[in-house]
Amino acid sequence: MPATSAPRVNSLALLILPSALLFALFFFLPIGLMAVMSVLTGNPVVMPNVGFTTKHYARMGNDSYYLEVIWTTIRIGLWTTLAALVIGYPLAHWMARIRSRTGHALLLMAVLAPMLTGIVVRTFAWMTLLSDKGVINQILTSFGLITKPLQLMYNETGIIIGLVHIYVPFMVLTLTGVIGRIDERLEQAAENLGASPWRAFMEVTLPLSLPGILAGSLLVFALAISAYVTPILLGGFQIMTLPILIYQQISANFNVGFAAALGMVLLAISLILVIAYNHMLGLVSGQRGLQ
Amino acid sequence: MSANIEIAGVSKIYDGGVRAVDAIAMDIRPGEFFSLLGPSGCGKTTTLRMIAGFDSPSAGEIRLDGADITHVPAHKRDMAMVFQNYALFPHRTVAENVAFGLRMRKIDKATIATKVKAALAMVELSGMEDRKPAQLSGGQQQRVALARAIVISPRVLLCDEPLGALDKKLRQQMQFELKQLQKALGLTLVFVTHDQEEALAMSDRIAVMNAGRVEQIGTPVEIYDQPRTCFVADFIGDTNIFRGQRVTMDHGIGIAAGNGLLLALPDNIAAAGSEVLSVALRPEKIAVAPADPVEARSKGMSTRGTVESTNFLGGAVLYRLVLDSGHRVLVQQPNSGAPLHPPGQAVALGWRPADLVILED
Ligand SMILES: Nc1ncnc2c1ncn2[C@@H]1O[C@H](COP(=O)(O)OP(=O)(O)OP(=O)(O)O)[C@@H](O)[C@H]1O
Ligand SMILES: [Mg+2]
Repeated sequence: MPATSAPRVNSLALLILPSALLFALFFFLPIGLMAVMSVLTGNPVVMPNVGFTTKHYARMGNDSYYLEVIWTTIRIGLWTTLAALVIGYPLAHWMARIRSRTGHALLLMAVLAPMLTGIVVRTFAWMTLLSDKGVINQILTSFGLITKPLQLMYNETGIIIGLVHIYVPFMVLTLTGVIGRIDERLEQAAENLGASPWRAFMEVTLPLSLPGILAGSLLVFALAISAYVTPILLGGFQIMTLPILIYQQISANFNVGFAAALGMVLLAISLILVIAYNHMLGLVSGQRGLQ
Repeated sequence: MSANIEIAGVSKIYDGGVRAVDAIAMDIRPGEFFSLLGPSGCGKTTTLRMIAGFDSPSAGEIRLDGADITHVPAHKRDMAMVFQNYALFPHRTVAENVAFGLRMRKIDKATIATKVKAALAMVELSGMEDRKPAQLSGGQQQRVALARAIVISPRVLLCDEPLGALDKKLRQQMQFELKQLQKALGLTLVFVTHDQEEALAMSDRIAVMNAGRVEQIGTPVEIYDQPRTCFVADFIGDTNIFRGQRVTMDHGIGIAAGNGLLLALPDNIAAAGSEVLSVALRPEKIAVAPADPVEARSKGMSTRGTVESTNFLGGAVLYRLVLDSGHRVLVQQPNSGAPLHPPGQAVALGWRPADLVILED
């Protein structure tokens, strides 16, 4: 047996090799470099004698400003995820259960259409809606509902609105796949046993779509905390997030080491989430019940 | 506790114009084992889903103990359904699955625990409480589905081919258990199947369906011995169907089935309406003997034929014969120990006119 299976393993390895190399070159190498840079005193390309240091991480820990930035980033990520889930779930459920083909096609178009426009264009569109003299404030003022314009932009609310709009499709598409695979007859069985439609949803559909909720949330959160354009334009530099800070450190302060350390923090947040996700999924689909 | 279901002129037309169920009427009695039998796509599942309340009829009315429930939502009907694919909740344990209906009825925990235990014991699944459906065999899943349905003591139990996925042995065992259970609990049970043997063996009454219509409703014996239409005669068991002009014979009337084959009809149906008639004759109602003129004449066997093939089935022998008139007939004889008629042998056939059943078209 081993004699016959050995060549097969080799040919498989050969097939995987190109993509493995590509992955190593463009994924692990940059991250590895970033990790190394984050613990060096300077840039080894321009400075010949650099040494090991933890000062970049210490700086983050000692200055509450940086902790505040990290927390703001996470907070924006959480609110964006929550909003995308609340908006996306009903839409995904509708899409997964709709009978008519045309209806499904129209919904899919509606979800995907915004993705066909660039993020910058869409963000500017939001600015015309949300600014002090924007569409929303103008309408509310003309109806006499407000006297002073609402502060919808240049704060976290604006950023979250913009991010939710951009990332809802990711949530919807992830959820639609999962909900679509839940047998409708399970809900009917629940109703048949006396559960109201709402109860059947809570007892059957929602728990069974938990893997999709987790995956969609993870995706949206990771994208939201690493977003750059939307937080800049809709935050107007009033709100500082990790990606903006990293960019500043590189382009204005030339502090590559500190930027790398900030990048590592961003990566760590995402990694912790992926691990937590896997753990949760294990609990959900494993031996233990959901109650 | 058990209930009566009336289905009055119910039709179901799906979007796109498919007439899945066409003006059916049936009256299912309390405590009755009632089967819906028919070929694939004849509307059995659709009928059951309308009774359960998952689909609403396009026309007609469904009544439960006289009360119109046509538009009552499924969760208020107090019926339990065993789905064709079981539809067990995959994220719940066996015990949680069975407890579901009781929890929805807001029964206290201690009572639920007792009832779940009893229901699982009844379907012989004690000790499997904490397994997930995916960790059970097909037959065990089926029994969980059954336990989940009966534990709520429903007024009506609806079963959609619940035994379809089982192998023959387990299937027969489950047929027996289901029948016992239904009797013991006095349940009104509507049972969907496309397996005629299953329907004949288990039912109090059977509704034979075809292309969205009910062809005949009756006890298994009525359905088998007095099929009303060609479809029923053909669908249930094996049968020989002859078709021909009505003619007047020496004693009463008969059918000229062509090529000189004359079939005498029983006296009591002289009034049979149309000029062209179809009759059915079951294979086991035909006697066969070697074509020895003396022996055959003495038994009144006037029809002649040749054996085409002989199939020994153990308890019976199945012959395919070609009559001298060219008609092919199927004959089944009990295995009495007499020598078989080999293929090629000339034989004489006989039957009683009373065994001929006149069919509607
Ligand atoms: N949702 C639907 N939309 C359109 N047509 C349907 C739908 N469901 C069923 N039909 C059609 O209605 C007819 C009856 O279907 P039904 O499921 O009741 O058949 P059945 O007797 O249960 O068959 P089987 O023995 O294969 O389960 C079929 O022709 C089927 O194609
Ligand atoms: Mg069916």
